[in-house]
Formats: sequence, structure tokens, C-alpha cells
Amino acid sequence: MDFISSLIAASMRAGTPLLFATLGEIIAERSGVLNLGLEGVMVTGAMTGFYVSLVTGNPWLGILAGGFAGLLLATIHAFFTVSLKVDQAVTGLMLVLLGLGMTGFLGRDFVGKVATYLQPVEIPVLSDIPYIGEAFFKHDPLVYAGIFLVPLLWYIMNKTRYGMELFAVGENPEAADTMGIAVDKIRFFAVLIGGFLAGIAGAHLSLAYAKVWTDGLTAGRGWICLALVIFSGWMPQRAIAGAYLFGGLDVLSFKLQAAGLGVSYQFMRMVPYIVTILVLLLSVIRGKDKFGAPSALGKPYIREQRF
Amino acid sequence: MIRVERRLETPRHIQLLIPFVSIAASLIFVGILLMVFGINPIEAYETMIRRAFGTKFGLTELFVKTAPIILTGLAVTIPLRAGLWNIGAEGQLYMGAFAASVVALYFSVPSLLFLVLPLMALIALFGGMLWASIPAILKAKFNLNEIISTLLLNYVAIYWVEYLVYGPMRGKEVYNFPYSDLFNDYAILPRFFGTRFHIGVIIAFFIAIIIYILLTKTSYGFAVKVVGANPKAAEYAGINRKGVIISAMLIGGAIAGFAGMMEVSGLHLRLRSAVSPGYGYTGIPVALLAKGNPLAVIVAAFLFGLLYVGGSAMQTTYGIPVAIVDVFQALVVLFIIGGDFFTKYRIVFSGLRPRGV
Repeated sequence: MDFISSLIAASMRAGTPLLFATLGEIIAERSGVLNLGLEGVMVTGAMTGFYVSLVTGNPWLGILAGGFAGLLLATIHAFFTVSLKVDQAVTGLMLVLLGLGMTGFLGRDFVGKVATYLQPVEIPVLSDIPYIGEAFFKHDPLVYAGIFLVPLLWYIMNKTRYGMELFAVGENPEAADTMGIAVDKIRFFAVLIGGFLAGIAGAHLSLAYAKVWTDGLTAGRGWICLALVIFSGWMPQRAIAGAYLFGGLDVLSFKLQAAGLGVSYQFMRMVPYIVTILVLLLSVIRGKDKFGAPSALGKPYIREQRF
Repeated sequence: MIRVERRLETPRHIQLLIPFVSIAASLIFVGILLMVFGINPIEAYETMIRRAFGTKFGLTELFVKTAPIILTGLAVTIPLRAGLWNIGAEGQLYMGAFAASVVALYFSVPSLLFLVLPLMALIALFGGMLWASIPAILKAKFNLNEIISTLLLNYVAIYWVEYLVYGPMRGKEVYNFPYSDLFNDYAILPRFFGTRFHIGVIIAFFIAIIIYILLTKTSYGFAVKVVGANPKAAEYAGINRKGVIISAMLIGGAIAGFAGMMEVSGLHLRLRSAVSPGYGYTGIPVALLAKGNPLAVIVAAFLFGLLYVGGSAMQTTYGIPVAIVDVFQALVVLFIIGGDFFTKYRIVFSGLRPRGV
């Protein structure tokens, strides 16, 4: 039981960065913009957050700074893909290179340093319940924030005017435009939200989960999140399941390693990537990607012009 | 009022100007970054250029570093012409390196040792191809997004090689380093001029020319182009779209696999972790700069080869991480695609009423 409750707790902690980034990408993709640069955005948030917490001693400033660093990188993506109508895949891929390169360059001086990290908050009464308290109620605040974000986004996407507009520009930008919805504005904003959340995801990684900064700290999590978006069928309520599942996978591979099962470290590290491909395959075979995907995903919207 | 208007035709001087302006702008941007770290950018760039062109060693190093980039550039270019993103050249390179190393280390029929190098090349091609076949088949059969699958497989391949050099293939006399034993002479590519310039460099150029002929002068090349430009039209024209998708990816993977053999047999002389400093990823900006033309890949690869040579010079001289090369790569491409906007559109400053409405 101890093993299980600590596994659940660790899965939630490891899954939280995945959750934030996946939720952000869902919003961006719902508007029709694919941000393949998630890995680069996350790693930038991770380094910036770590740096700010290191300097100020305040992890919350770090988290916020991580979010804004992600927002900054997303602004590049939005400017290129929404304003300049450039190919979304190319811009996204370059964002990955840019993010990994910049952080490798700028972050070299604080590899191995210890920054003030986010402390867990024990929820009164509930955290005293045996096992369950350990598993669910002794987390850092961002874990709770992530859980809270899911119904909030669900509500925004399904019940508000903004949500409807988001849906409209992602499905049929021409029609949305005709109805007077500012397609570019909605898309630009959605990409920024996505970047902000991915930046926070990165900062959570460096300030609450890993608690260190190393070069390329995200280790492919951005790509896993892109797969999680497809797996979740672009729905926030499903994203949380996927994120915690993959968080659990990450943790499990370390725990089994520590338990000395004789499986080598490298094989354990491979598991999340292989499982991601399998999960993606499953989603595709079941046709989820067709039913859930915004119809205009990846296509720039250029209003027809008369000369 | 400012608005954007589509150009009816693109002035030629703008098209020619864009790559140069982009490279200059990236140099300025990276220069500012260097200044932040208290490094004089002019001096740093001078060091880069002097290292690459100033000595025999530097010049041959430029070729040695350009060659694998030509190959990974091709590995991205060929599928890209068929409309597919191969982000997995890095992993395919590692699998090629692994396959070649198996032959190099374990093939030991004394009378047939002259066969080792050709066999290594062949099996490296096959290794890269096999690794690329996974995303290719998943794409053709299930329409699984190849960007994500090729990328994720990179991690698997890199960990696989790491496992081998820490485990079953670790050398006897390497202390704690993640290395295999050194290859025997018969498994090492011949070198020239007393430098690291090896025969693989020349082969890389030949491969680029062969691919150029394949893509521009044969009916297969035409089929690839049609599938890339318009998959529906391809099917109406009776082109086997899935076959083209798979084969384009396989050829790309095979070439990346060969790059892996070249690195272990021409440069490292053993299998090791970190076979490549990210040449597979560099193939992406190279392919984008070359716009699908295999001969242009050679030119673009030289630019990035220069960056790698210069990058390592800057690392030894100023202690700047080689990651700065990635920043430069990303910036060049972003500036170029941003610049492309101005070839298709122009910005019009007009009165309140847009023209033509």
C-alpha cells in the first residue's frame, strides 16, 4: 500500500507538467494552430523558471517567469504562423531548435546549482487520511492548480462565447470570418495561452519535479504532450488521464530501476517513447484523431482577396 | 491604414536577397547574445573563419563535418519532396552506426577481411532503412503522424546505442567510458593528407549527385514530386501513393544510416555514445534552405559544417557551448521563412479604404 500511494503521488507530480503543456496545446490546436515547438517552449520555461528562482529565491516568481518565457516563444510562433501565414510545422520545429539551443547556451552556468523549489502543501484533515492523504493531498500547489484547470478549460471551451469562437475558427475559419469573428486575433491569443501554459509546465518540471536544471531537461516531454493531445481527442477532461498515466510511466521506470529488477537503465528510459507511439497508434486506429481533430488544424487562414 | 496584399509576381532581387539578409540578421542576433556574455562577436566570428579556412586541418575538418550533414540533409529532403517530415535522421544515423559496428567488431573471417568495409556500408544502409520503415509503414497504413513517430524513435535509438556501449559492446580497455573497442584497420575508412579527411566525405558528395539524378531525371523522382505536391492527383494518375511514401522514407533512412557508419568508421573509429552532435536535426534546416534540391543541400550543408567547425573553435577558445549552433540554425530558417512572406505579399500603406473593396 505504501508503494501504491507513493506511486500515485509521484505520478501526479510527474504528470502535472505534461498536463499543463497538453492543456495549452489543446487550446492552440482547437483554434487551428499546431505548435510543434512545445519541446522548445517547455525547456525555455524550465530554464527561465529555474534561473529566476535561483536569483530571487522565490519559486513562484520562477513559475511566473517560466510562463512568460513560454509566452514569448509562443509569440514568435503566433507571429509567423498567424500573422505571416508561414508553415506551422517548419516554425514549430525551429522553435524546438531555438529553445534547446538558447537554454543550452544561457543555462550552462547554473547546471548543478540548487534553486528554491516549490514546497508541497498539506491539505488540512484530508492529508491525515492514511494512504489516501499521502497519495492525493500532499502536493505542491501547481498539482492542484492543474486539476482545477481541467474543469475550468472544459467550461470555457464548451460553455462560453470565447470557447465557441475558438471552436469556429479551428473548424471553419472562412465561416467564422463571415460571421464577424476575428480569426487571426483568436488564433494569436490561443497560441499565446498555449505557450504560457507550456512555459509553466517547464517551470514545474525544474522547480517541483526534477528540482534541478540540466541541458535538455524536458527530454522529449514536449513531443509526448503532442501525442497526448491526439490521445485526448482535443478534450481537457481526457488530457488529465493521459498526463497522469504518462507521469506514472515515468515514475514507474525509475522505481523498478531502483528496486533492482535487473533491467538496464537505458531500456527503462525507452519505455515512455515506445508507449507514446503505441498509444498514438491506438488513437489513430480507433479513429479518434479524425473525429476529434479540428478540421482546419495546421492550415493558415488567408482571406480571399479581390484585386 | 496598413494592410497586407498578395503580390502578383515576385521581384527577383527580393528572392535572391533573402538568404543573405537572413544569414546576416542571424549573425547579428547571435552576436548580441555573445556580447551579453562579454565576448566580442567580431573576434569570435574571426576565430570561426580562421579556424575553418586558415589551416589545412581546419579546412579538412570543414569537409569532415559537412559530409554527414549532406547525408542527413538528403535524409530529410527526399521524404520532404514526397510531403513527409523525417525528423528521425538522428535515430536512423545511430542505427546505421550500430549496425556497422556489429560487423566491424564481430566479423572475423581472416580471408574475407577485405569485405568488411563494403559489408559495413551495406548493413548501415539497411539499419537506417529498417529504423525508418517503422514510421513509414505506420504513416502509409494508419496515417500516423510521422513527425511525432520519427522524433520519438530518435530517443529509442540513442538509448539503444547507449545501452550497448555501457553493456554488451563495451570495450575491454576503455576504463569507464561508454566506448566499444577500437575497430581494426580493415574496418576503418581510408584517410588522406594525414588528416581526418576520409573517403566517406567523397562518397557523401557522390550520394548527393545520385539522389539529384534520381529525383529530377527519373520517373520515380517525378512520382515523388507529384505525391508531395498533390496526393489526390497522384492517385488519379495511377501513382502508388503509399509505395512512394514508404520508399521515400526508406531511402532517406538508408542515407542517414550510412552517415552513421561514416561517423564510427571514419571519425570515432569505434562505437560510442554521442555518435553525432545532432547532425540528424541539422538536416532539417539544411533541407529547408535547399528547398528540396539535393545539390543545394551540399551548399547548405557547408554553411552548417562551417558552423560546427566554428562552434567547436568557439567552445575551445571562449568556452561557449556548441548549443549556440542550434540557435543560429533556428534563426536562419526563421528569418528565411519570415522573409518568404515578403516574396508572396507586400505591405501596403493606404487610406482608410482598402484597395479593391
